[in-house]
Amino acid sequence: MENAGHAPQILTAKAAGLVGCVQCGRVHRPGVMVCDRCGAAIASRDTTSVQRVWAWLFAGLVVYVPANIYPMLRTTVLGKTSESTIFGGVVDLMHHGSYGIAAIVFFASIIIPCSKFAAIAFLALSVQRKVRMSAGARHKLYEVVEFVGRWSMIDVFVVAILASLVQLDFAASINPGIAAVSFAVSVAFTMISAESFDSRLIWDADEDEHHG
Amino acid sequence: MAEPQPAEMKIEGPKRSFWRNLSLAWLVPIGALAVTMGVAWQSYAERGTVIEIRFENAAGVVPEETTIHYRDVTVGLVEKVEFTPDLSSVVVTATVDDVVASGLTSDAQFWVVRPEVSASGISGLSTVLSGVYIEAGFDPKAEGDSDAVRTTSFEGLDSAPLVKPGMRGTRIVLRAKSGSQLSAGAPIFHQGIEVGRIEEPRLIDSGNGVIADAFIDSPYDKRLTTATRFWDTSGFNFSLGAGGFNFSVESLASLIRGGVSFGTVFSGGSPVPSRYVFDLFDDEQSAQDSVYSDLTDNAVTLSAAFDQSVSGLSVGSPVTYSGLRVGQVQALGAFIDDSSGEQEVKLRASISIDPRAFGLESDTPQEDTLDFLGNEIADGLRARLASEGLFSTGLMIELITVPNAEAPFAFDAADPQIPSVESNIADLTTTAQGVFSRIDNLPIEEMIDQITATLGSIERLVGNEDLQKVPGSVNGLLADARGVIGSEGIQTLPDELSATVSELRGIAEELRTADLVGTLTRALDSAANAADTVNAMAGDLEGATSEIPTLVAEARALVQKANTLPLDSFVAQATELLDSADALIDSDDTRALPGALARALDEAQGALAELRQGGVVENTNATLASARDAAAAIEEAAGTLPALSQRIGTLVAQAETTLGGYEANSDFNRETVNALREVRQAAEALTRLSRQIERNPNSLLFGR
Repeated sequence: MENAGHAPQILTAKAAGLVGCVQCGRVHRPGVMVCDRCGAAIASRDTTSVQRVWAWLFAGLVVYVPANIYPMLRTTVLGKTSESTIFGGVVDLMHHGSYGIAAIVFFASIIIPCSKFAAIAFLALSVQRKVRMSAGARHKLYEVVEFVGRWSMIDVFVVAILASLVQLDFAASINPGIAAVSFAVSVAFTMISAESFDSRLIWDADEDEHHG
Repeated sequence: MAEPQPAEMKIEGPKRSFWRNLSLAWLVPIGALAVTMGVAWQSYAERGTVIEIRFENAAGVVPEETTIHYRDVTVGLVEKVEFTPDLSSVVVTATVDDVVASGLTSDAQFWVVRPEVSASGISGLSTVLSGVYIEAGFDPKAEGDSDAVRTTSFEGLDSAPLVKPGMRGTRIVLRAKSGSQLSAGAPIFHQGIEVGRIEEPRLIDSGNGVIADAFIDSPYDKRLTTATRFWDTSGFNFSLGAGGFNFSVESLASLIRGGVSFGTVFSGGSPVPSRYVFDLFDDEQSAQDSVYSDLTDNAVTLSAAFDQSVSGLSVGSPVTYSGLRVGQVQALGAFIDDSSGEQEVKLRASISIDPRAFGLESDTPQEDTLDFLGNEIADGLRARLASEGLFSTGLMIELITVPNAEAPFAFDAADPQIPSVESNIADLTTTAQGVFSRIDNLPIEEMIDQITATLGSIERLVGNEDLQKVPGSVNGLLADARGVIGSEGIQTLPDELSATVSELRGIAEELRTADLVGTLTRALDSAANAADTVNAMAGDLEGATSEIPTLVAEARALVQKANTLPLDSFVAQATELLDSADALIDSDDTRALPGALARALDEAQGALAELRQGGVVENTNATLASARDAAAAIEEAAGTLPALSQRIGTLVAQAETTLGGYEANSDFNRETVNALREVRQAAEALTRLSRQIERNPNSLLFGR
């Protein structure tokens, strides 16, 4: 594996004239449409993968906009209602000196979603156009995106817990805003987007590059 | 390692078209986009209209927190608070619901509601917790008005307006000499009911007065006419006058904040337009008096000349007719009257008279008014000075109709004059004095003397000696009565009655016709005869009474004689003697002759002693003693009276008990009892008489 960046040394199922099952890894003869071990639908390459990636990615982006514009929390204390957006909450936390929490919220709610959008877009583009990044690095990037996706729900969890705990009628109450729903949907959409990506396309692109 | 063989390639058909190849996943972003756009549109639609309000200061206004209320409903939110470019005021930018924003015209008012504690109460308490809010006020009716100018830029008020736009009523202006009676928010009363409020007073530009806007709520504003007057009721008011001490406080709030009242002081006012200016008077009286002082546009001016001093009369003094105020004095002056041949200074007062006071229309031409007054003057209308009040030194001019007045000089409409008559100012004191002197002159003492004398003669009549003969006769009468009662028939009657009580009831009719009844009737007759005797005797008494005065006259003559004894002349002689003695002593000869003096004095003393020893005094004493003896005799005689009356009493009681046994309702019984009662009364009178004599036996003699 010292030459992990150079795929040509590795024989892919496609190159061997076979079709591999994505779920269980068994290879089949071409023409078999269903994996005879695990029953999953098999295809040499998922031709609609990139389309779906883009579709979900766009959906995630669309709902990410109201998630940032609309208030995440609606806090009512003694009849005075205040609403805070994600970024507004970060700024408030910084003003109160809670830099650590501010950093966590900022990282989980803004940095991670944004970089996920960028990463998925980059990967989707990389199978259609030539990019400089090696196939291995792109694989690693894809794995990171897949792994980190669920952790960006941290903000939604905080809102859900606060809203259910702090319901003290007039004294204080916290209700989720539109942004909480939008954000959760956005995270879900980007996860589906990442899931839709057929990582085998990275190899094909790499091969095309080497074979000229 | 065998070279791997390429797998058989799966040959696919021609590439499907772009649309056929399109994934269903694209529906997701489209749906997401639609939902997001929907939310965004909703937010945009609810965003409302952005308005700007300029405030002097924005205490308590917090962006994103302070709300805008209209009729206590939240209709907007403050977005930001910033300064105008020149830093002269604060601009509050807020979004307001479109529904409300469409009604906002340039008349709309905005003010910040803060907690406030004032004399009239506490307001804005809810803002203590929730923070201040901005209240909007505008007249919703203006919405359909084409004149109304829609705008999004407003001037905020420093404090809540007393009159919120949209309130119905009439706005007026009050003009006062000083603002001390006026304070913002002070109530306006009408017949004790709060019907409006005063706004912040401000100085008139010219500086000599204060004006304040005021607002009278509907429907009370209908009471406002040109006949309406406003007066100050702030604080308390007390007055001391002929009517007594008067103290009044309108209400506690007006005591602290001041307040005004209004009332209609005459009828026939016309409705007032908005922002009509009313003058504020110091009190109700001056407000009512003002009617003739400031409504004399059409008044006519007459002059009246007076011979007497007009001290106390001043410009503005009232002119009254039959107690009604009809005008006032306009000017005072003097002029030289030479109509009577010689020059004479007379005082002249110009008086203006309101035509309405005489029931004429307010727009009556002056000529007509003067004609009317001329006729009145021809009929005897005159002016005279009169005192303004019982305790007032001020004067007023009184118009009176003098019957049979001497013909006045010709009334000249160009120089109208009203003739004057002698005033009756001085009469008051003289009248009062006259009343007192008349009371003083009443012959009270004579009256008392008369009454005393009358009482004395009555006493003398009662005390007459002849009255003492009465007991004897009465005694005889009673003996007769006792004889009747003691007769056997009556004595045995009770026994018979008790023995045959049932029989008696059965033959009650028989009993009445029996001899017994006849006897009783005869007894009754004899009792009546006895009564007649008493009456006859009373007649005798009257005859005897005429003798009393002669008796008294004799006694008095006796005393008179004692009085007229020549004591005086004796004393006079003695005095003369002493005088001559004095003269003698004064003379030089006497001094030279002390011995002679001593003798002379001895002589004088001797003469006086003789006088003292003379029978005069003894005579008098004897007379008085005999009188006293007479009184004693009377007393003695009177001593027998009580016993007599007592005897009568017991007799009567006896008779009563005896008769009580008879049927209570029979006529005989009743009459007998009545007769007895009269007898008893006579006895009681005797007792009283005897007591009187016992107490003061001399009264018979001296009539006192």
